[in-house]
Amino acid sequence: MIAQRVGVGALRRAATKPSIYFNQSIPKLALASISTSHVRYAVPSRPAPPGRPRRGRDSNKSAPSSPDSPITTTKLSPSEGDQILANQRLQRPISPHLAIYKMEQTWFGASAWTRITGITLSGTAYLYFGSYLVAPLLGLHLESASVAAAFTGLPFLVKGGIKFALGFPFAFHFINGIKHLVYDLGKGFAKPSIRRGEIALWVSSILSGLYLAFGL
Amino acid sequence: MATLRSSSRILGSSAVRTAALRPGAVFARSMATVGETPVEQQPRLKTFQLYRWNPDTPSEKPRMQSYTLDLNKTGPMVLDALVRIKNELDPTVTFRRSCREGICGSCAMNINGQNTLACLCRIPTESAAEVKVYPLPHTYVVKDLVPDLTHFYKQYKSIKPYLQRDTPSPDGKEYRQSKEDRKKLDGLYECILCACCSTSCPSYWWNAEEYLGPAILLQSYRWLVDSRDERKGERKNNLENSMSLYRCHTILNCTRACPKGLNPGKAIAEIKKQMALGS
Amino acid sequence: MASIKESKVEVRLRQLSSPSKAVAIASQPLSRPSMLTGPLFLPVNDPAPVPEPNAAHGSYHWTFERLLAAGLVPLTIAPFASGSLNPAMDAVLCSAVLLHSHMGFQQCIVDYVPKKKYPGLRKTTWWMLNAATVLVGVGLYEFETNDVGVTEAIKRVWKA
Repeated sequence: MIAQRVGVGALRRAATKPSIYFNQSIPKLALASISTSHVRYAVPSRPAPPGRPRRGRDSNKSAPSSPDSPITTTKLSPSEGDQILANQRLQRPISPHLAIYKMEQTWFGASAWTRITGITLSGTAYLYFGSYLVAPLLGLHLESASVAAAFTGLPFLVKGGIKFALGFPFAFHFINGIKHLVYDLGKGFAKPSIRRGEIALWVSSILSGLYLAFGL
Repeated sequence: MATLRSSSRILGSSAVRTAALRPGAVFARSMATVGETPVEQQPRLKTFQLYRWNPDTPSEKPRMQSYTLDLNKTGPMVLDALVRIKNELDPTVTFRRSCREGICGSCAMNINGQNTLACLCRIPTESAAEVKVYPLPHTYVVKDLVPDLTHFYKQYKSIKPYLQRDTPSPDGKEYRQSKEDRKKLDGLYECILCACCSTSCPSYWWNAEEYLGPAILLQSYRWLVDSRDERKGERKNNLENSMSLYRCHTILNCTRACPKGLNPGKAIAEIKKQMALGS
Repeated sequence: MASIKESKVEVRLRQLSSPSKAVAIASQPLSRPSMLTGPLFLPVNDPAPVPEPNAAHGSYHWTFERLLAAGLVPLTIAPFASGSLNPAMDAVLCSAVLLHSHMGFQQCIVDYVPKKKYPGLRKTTWWMLNAATVLVGVGLYEFETNDVGVTEAIKRVWKA
């Protein structure tokens, strides 16, 4: 690779002054085209970019551009430069994130699911005990006895489904909660153990969820 | 030696000849293109989808543009493919690159959903699927694959990433460190600040303004465990708020993303431990 | 500073027509957070501001959360494992779970409703959470005093 860099450097040098590498008969025309090739993308007069102020440009002296230089320069004060930058930034889009990042690290990340399961459990509890408080005012019966009675009447699969919908979040939150407490001690951060822990977490929490739902 | 030979051949003849024929393509020949193979091979085509957005037409929505390359003529890494796309297919494709060996951190981008350095990421050949290349996630896009990392660097500056001492060294020469103390810096000093980890962190996506993010916190820890630094209290004090450090919820995307194999997640856990124990 | 005052040279790339097909992707909403133009961002070379230290929101808060979570591990297992009914234990478990939930919800609000971006919404959600927790606390108290107690109730419903 270094040899190639030397090659490019030599080529550049050759473009300005023929060296020992190129002392054969290289047409002058080719050399000229090499020397201008790196400025061929520069356009002589810069079109006004949209959304950028041209205010204050007249007060500053424009650097005189020599006839053979296609690049124009403009003197700007630091605050004017900042303004241009700020205006540019307002145009910039935010690169995609959740939609493109690896699913197993975003949508199926253990940490995210600890939060989802926690919200499920606490949300259910908040809903139940909040409604328990206002139930007498609305004439509803949410006492444990009536809830248990209503639950008994449900078909087996529905009962199991409801129990799994609470049992799995509990198992997941509980197991991964312990895992996170271990992380907080600074342990278990080796990459293989992270991966193994993740698999173990999903398997054990789904199995425990199923046991809580149908085994008890 | 093979490279040396082939490139000197290019230098001697083909580059100059190409230059004479196609003046615009003088510097187009680079490491990204493998020299012509003597035997005709079956072309191995691979399609790359690149995120494109041009600041000159800001009202145009970002889009994906696909380019197809023959992998027989391309180097093994994604960066090689990008360089070849820029050289041979579309010179308007914009991305940062410098060292092409994973030490500068310029070519950090999201490749197939994973933040990594393009120069360290092999072009996946086991499947025929397209390679999708995006800029680092949830960053402001300057152009195409170039993200704006200004705030990232401002945050780095805010942790004072340099040795702070109030007392001169005992021997008046240099600040010495035991081998054990030096060892504590291993796995921390290697960070090249490519921002792969920070921009993989959902917490940093939502709260980049105030949360420092894994890369900066790893650097913070690098100075917190340096036996020679004497402003540890001040450093910890600067993290004593709900945002700077404690937005970390041990998601560990940072540790999975680090192209240098470092462990920002562990470094942050160590900071939290130090802060809790007050040691 | 001298480098900033130097004249800026802008070189524009000539627009070249792209040779291959283009696929439009879903648009990202352009948000305009204060970071872009506000005092936080400029000048570019200044360090990001460091907040006032407050251990109650920092390490103390974190340590308390962890101790609470660690305490909940035996508290949740014990009543179901031992099978004994102890109103005092039940009360401790309930208040610990309530506090744990409240702090968890707070973390969600801090994460997803940034103070800088949505100051009004942040305040609203914060006080709504406080109100909900108080309401649920009273509800739990009522349940504990008038009903059979949380652990017993869960047991009965689960075995129903």
